[in-house]
Amino acid sequence: MINLSQTVKEGAAVVAEIERRSGQRITACLQCGRCTSTCVAAFAFDYPPHRLMHLLQIGLVEEVLRSETAQLCLDCMTCSMRCPVKIDVAGVIETAKAIADEAGLRDTEPNLRLFRRGFLNNVCRHGRLHETTLLLWFNLRTGKLTNDLSLAPLLLRKKKVRIFPPRIKNLRQVRRLFQQVNGSAGPPR
Amino acid sequence: MIGVFVCQCGTNIAATVSTDRVVQAAKSMLGVVHAESIQYTCSDPGQRAIIDAIQQKGLTRVVMAGCSPRMHEITFRRAIGRAGMNPFMLEMVNIREQCSWIHSGIDETTEKAIDLVRKGVARVRRQKPLQPGSSPVARRALVIGAGVAGIQAALDIADAGIPVTLVEKSPTIGGNMARLDKTFPTLDCSSCILTPRMVEVKQHENIKLMVNSEVEKVRGYIGNFEIDIRKKASCVIEEKCTGCLICQEKCPSKAPDDFNACAGESKAISIPFPQAVPLVASLRKEYCRLFISGKCSVCQKVCPADAIDYGQEDTVVTEKFGAVVVATGFGLYDWKQSYPTYGMGMYPDVINALKYERLLSASGPTGGHIERPSDGKEPRDIVFISCIGSRDESVGRPQCCSIGCMYMAKQAILTKEHIPDSQSYIFYIDVRAAGKGYDEFARRAQTDFGAIYIRGRVGKIYPRGGKLVVMGTDTLAGDQVEIEADLVVLATGLTPAEGAGGLARRLNISTDGQGFMAEGHPKLKPVETNTGGVFLAGACQGPKDIPASVAQAGAAAAKVIGLLSREEIETSPMVAEVNQLKCTGCFKCRDVCPYGAIENQDAMGGQVAHVIASLCQGCGLCNVACPPGVISLKGYTDNQLIAEVVEVLR
Repeated sequence: MINLSQTVKEGAAVVAEIERRSGQRITACLQCGRCTSTCVAAFAFDYPPHRLMHLLQIGLVEEVLRSETAQLCLDCMTCSMRCPVKIDVAGVIETAKAIADEAGLRDTEPNLRLFRRGFLNNVCRHGRLHETTLLLWFNLRTGKLTNDLSLAPLLLRKKKVRIFPPRIKNLRQVRRLFQQVNGSAGPPR
Repeated sequence: MIGVFVCQCGTNIAATVSTDRVVQAAKSMLGVVHAESIQYTCSDPGQRAIIDAIQQKGLTRVVMAGCSPRMHEITFRRAIGRAGMNPFMLEMVNIREQCSWIHSGIDETTEKAIDLVRKGVARVRRQKPLQPGSSPVARRALVIGAGVAGIQAALDIADAGIPVTLVEKSPTIGGNMARLDKTFPTLDCSSCILTPRMVEVKQHENIKLMVNSEVEKVRGYIGNFEIDIRKKASCVIEEKCTGCLICQEKCPSKAPDDFNACAGESKAISIPFPQAVPLVASLRKEYCRLFISGKCSVCQKVCPADAIDYGQEDTVVTEKFGAVVVATGFGLYDWKQSYPTYGMGMYPDVINALKYERLLSASGPTGGHIERPSDGKEPRDIVFISCIGSRDESVGRPQCCSIGCMYMAKQAILTKEHIPDSQSYIFYIDVRAAGKGYDEFARRAQTDFGAIYIRGRVGKIYPRGGKLVVMGTDTLAGDQVEIEADLVVLATGLTPAEGAGGLARRLNISTDGQGFMAEGHPKLKPVETNTGGVFLAGACQGPKDIPASVAQAGAAAAKVIGLLSREEIETSPMVAEVNQLKCTGCFKCRDVCPYGAIENQDAMGGQVAHVIASLCQGCGLCNVACPPGVISLKGYTDNQLIAEVVEVLR
């Protein structure tokens, strides 16, 4: 049972915050479901994207912030591309993710947070992703050194991962992007 | 000299009927001198082929084997008329809808087509030339009901120079639209756009306005209706009343405020609202102290114009009309009996949307301040529930009310404008917003005015601590929901106006399953009825919004103007005919005639039946009822029908 008169009022502040930071209007969502239809990761979510939008519409922010969806979203942006009312759904999910992070709500899956940090750090350092160092770093940090190691020969043979980091032409510009987003000189937290 | 033309209708007929074999068979039928098959008979070359054959072979009768007569009988009558024949010497044989479309084997289908053609040939052989009749047209129109549709129709007809009588049963014109605060999707002030039209009605030289009046009896037929209109006594002399409202102020007898959907209270003598047309008071005897207990007459004493006449009696006016427009509008579904879980009306804060509209209106009983009925408090949480008595087969009402989604969105927007910190919740099944600019409007209620749309029907409403708990479901969240509401507004469905059924019977027009008046054809005759000369406008024909009502009223007016611009109208010759020599004068025919087309006539040395040709619709009931069998339908005589049966059974 959802007590709407409560949830709508109690959730209003967080919904407004998500709307402000993402620049999206939650109320504009038609509930057509096209985001979910195109989502490649929805099979792993607890709430598919359209449901997440509706939960925000009726003020169930707690569910949204704690949801697996907010953590597992791949940010592939397909939903945002295809939304008929031009809502950046991935942006909304991303914002929910950030707010949950700040509120310390996301301790259920610490590895996810770790991976995300490592990923962004890696991109900031090399200008683009270097899978080998990301995987090594992640395994070191999680203490599971042999995790996925059996895949390494195949990935190397098929040239899916490389031993040496990639080089890009203008690393400084990528770093500046990170600076702009984070407001400080260093790579993401 | 019969000619048989077999249409292939492209492959519609030719795919399952061998038209060549039908032609061969037709050539051997008695009286047939010409038979041919044509690819598209209704096309211009097809019609020319028929005309050529008539003129070259000297045909006197034609059998057209093709589609249903409903489709093209008129087309071919005109064609053979152009060839110089009597247009009624034509028999349409349906070998498409009743033959080629419904069977598959070529042999059997062809055989059936041949049988049908033989039947048609037998019939047309016994056909006599018929001449359509004509009757004069009374150049005056009657418009029944003076809501927005009736007003529009009356003005359009009157502007064309045709006199109109506009009859309204309540004391003022304006109908339901006059009760609305704003209109979707533009939020125009309803009375600002309607009032000028109401005044125009009053001032129009071609419009005779009759309020407090009802159509009592209808005689006659298209072009020649004779109609009794009863003007109910209002105890106020219309010509004298100045609309000063002193009587209403001083009147000691309270009465329900019908105009405000009972959101407020009125007096026994009153003017419904300040913009009423005519601005004349009327007295409701059932609430008046004088008529109940015999002591009062305050209004008479205070009236400065000496306009009160307690002795006033109903008057009946009889007038002739050429055409009638029915624009009786709609009523609201009474939800109380059918939705026991919504409180059956026991909770004063569960109201219908029209009452809410009056609470929103600046001219309403609360002056435009939203106050809930129970304690006059301003509500904060307002729940709207759609489809009450609509899309609900359990209460016998499967249809969509077609305006609920839109007026809920409008009321949610107005609520937010009135009370900025209010929260509206709208329970819906689908948001049906198909008109121009409608969906954008309904979306704005959500995006710009914060209305929360919950997909699901409400199960139960019950009071708890000064609030109403609304138990529903949110099918999109997949869970039950509960809202503590201050006010619940029900979007009730539309019904025909009170008394519409009786009027339909008096006018001899049919109604649909819900009692709405039936149009002549759902697509091609949207304003006509099955009775000639009677047209429909607005929500009396089915639930409709204002733009659709106005459009339909304009269309009905155009039909009336077209009809009344003629001096005479042609009537169908396929009417009943009495052999008065043999008529016994039992008048069984008159009793069964649904059109009142049979009258007594002094002839043959006594009373015999006589058919009023312009009124007869050719239904044939009298033929069956006549004990000596002396009534026959022209073009459908007994010997024609028997010949057809004999040929089919051969």
